Amino acid sequence: MDFMYYGDILVVDLEAGTTEEVEIDEAWEAGPVLPAALELFDKHAQDDPLIFGSGILTGTTAPASCLGFALGASPITGGPAVAPLNLFAGAEMKLSGFSMVLIKGNSPGPVYLWLHDGVADLVDASRITGKDTWQTCDAVRDEMGEQLIQVISIGPVGEAKSDLASFSINYWGSGDNAALGALMGAKNLKAVALRGLGMIDAEDPEEFYNRTMGLLPGLPSEKSFDWAFEGLGEGGLDAWLGPLVHRYRSCFACPCACNTFVKYNEDPAVMGSDGVQEPGLMVTNPAAALWLGQGGWSPEGASRAMEAMARAGVDVVRGSREISAEPLEAPGEIAAAVEALTGPAEAAWPPGEGPAEGGIFGPWTPPSSSGDRWLEVNRAAYVLGVCPLFLAASGVEREDLLELCVPAAGIKLDAGGIKEMFDRARA
Amino acid sequence: MRVKVKPLECTGCALCELACGYHRDEAFSMISSSVMLYRAEEKKGYMGVIVKTAEDLFIGKPEGAAAMKLGELQKEGASGGASAKPILVREACDMCESAGLEPQCVAICPQKALYLE
Ligand code: SF4
Ligand code: SF4
Ligand code: SF4
Repeated sequence: MDFMYYGDILVVDLEAGTTEEVEIDEAWEAGPVLPAALELFDKHAQDDPLIFGSGILTGTTAPASCLGFALGASPITGGPAVAPLNLFAGAEMKLSGFSMVLIKGNSPGPVYLWLHDGVADLVDASRITGKDTWQTCDAVRDEMGEQLIQVISIGPVGEAKSDLASFSINYWGSGDNAALGALMGAKNLKAVALRGLGMIDAEDPEEFYNRTMGLLPGLPSEKSFDWAFEGLGEGGLDAWLGPLVHRYRSCFACPCACNTFVKYNEDPAVMGSDGVQEPGLMVTNPAAALWLGQGGWSPEGASRAMEAMARAGVDVVRGSREISAEPLEAPGEIAAAVEALTGPAEAAWPPGEGPAEGGIFGPWTPPSSSGDRWLEVNRAAYVLGVCPLFLAASGVEREDLLELCVPAAGIKLDAGGIKEMFDRARA
Repeated sequence: MRVKVKPLECTGCALCELACGYHRDEAFSMISSSVMLYRAEEKKGYMGVIVKTAEDLFIGKPEGAAAMKLGELQKEGASGGASAKPILVREACDMCESAGLEPQCVAICPQKALYLE
């Protein structure tokens, strides 16, 4: 594929400690998108593959084009499961110089994979074994001397291969509801670190750019999707977190900003960076806040608990469900409760919601997280590289985004074609 | 007339960087734009936007926004931290004149955090 992707597919053999670049199978006209990854997953099933990739529009001016993916066999379901790479990780994945990364086998010793500008290195991770995800992110960034590296890492819980494990993205909880963090632990893969200074070309750049600019004015730019969190009372998540809110953050290229930075170790009104080194948390898993809030936790206690889970590499949503019934306030007690977490295997979600059909796509974010609609949204989202929550909740016309694939890469796509791609991959 | 920043309105989407980069390279990247999102202190939730012109940097920090002459900046030891250095070697903002367009970073910003004055 000449446009929208940058670089070949990388195959990493952890057992042998080698990396190799292979060309993309031209049979996949839409390029190295999720259905192509599903086919690769089946082909390499005996090597227990973990695959990272992105969508057609990822990393461009298309709205919410932040999305990449991780695909592996979920230790919970035993089947393939997808976790979103949002924030800046999906775009960085695409710009790293590799279109897709297939990681097979298990490493004899702890390593992390460092992808940057078309170069792939397996780096000894014994120095950071046992470290939490915050320490891991800091250590990788310091070691490589670059603070903008995106670090997908596991903490001690992933290293222990717990079913409650989840990878974190930099310091924050991810949408890995399928325990792919435990799969990383089984592989002795402490982290995947990404930095890309690459460029993404469109087939007809002017047409593509103008169309994306034309879409933006009609889109919401709310700083949250409050309506999704009525369970926390009037005003939803924002009102509940209210006194702790410092700022709102977007993922890459998203006009909305549903990530909320809260401060509880420092006055949220402090705007400078000279004070407390670790003032709080970016709430990236609103569903976790929903569990804790409905369980009677205070916003501060809940935030501390979410921080402890993101650090340990516990799935913040499933972990929050586990501890929701017994609200705690004291930081020491919260830390102990998170440390003691050993969860049941099934993915947790508020009653009435659940993983989409087939279990490939995790629930990630309510309220549209079950049934055929969520499945369809996810299929389109991952092929496009556009956040599924944005696609489901912003009112953007899916057809408008699908049509962008023509100037982007000369690809004509519709919902039926996307379904066919998934059917073909799973055949 | 220049591009200025209301730093507290910014949510850090980087669309301004992409739009400026596109105007320079007709491709999407985050390395060649004259406007840059400062996001190196992620753990602190600290974030700002810097615009490079031929004479100065307009630095929109959460504590306040102001222009700083390039000379002063070097004397001060590159205020703006880790990301100030790359922006010093980038091309200066030309208000998108070379592309014959209105300032694209301002046009694309969904939060209206960038404005002309
Ligand atoms: S809708 Fe929220 S999660 Fe999705 S891209 Fe936008 S900010 Fe990120
Ligand atoms: S006005 Fe144009 S050249 Fe200047 S920073 Fe904005 S996009 Fe770049
Ligand atoms: S486009 Fe606006 S909101 Fe996005 S990073 Fe630039 S200034 Fe901030």
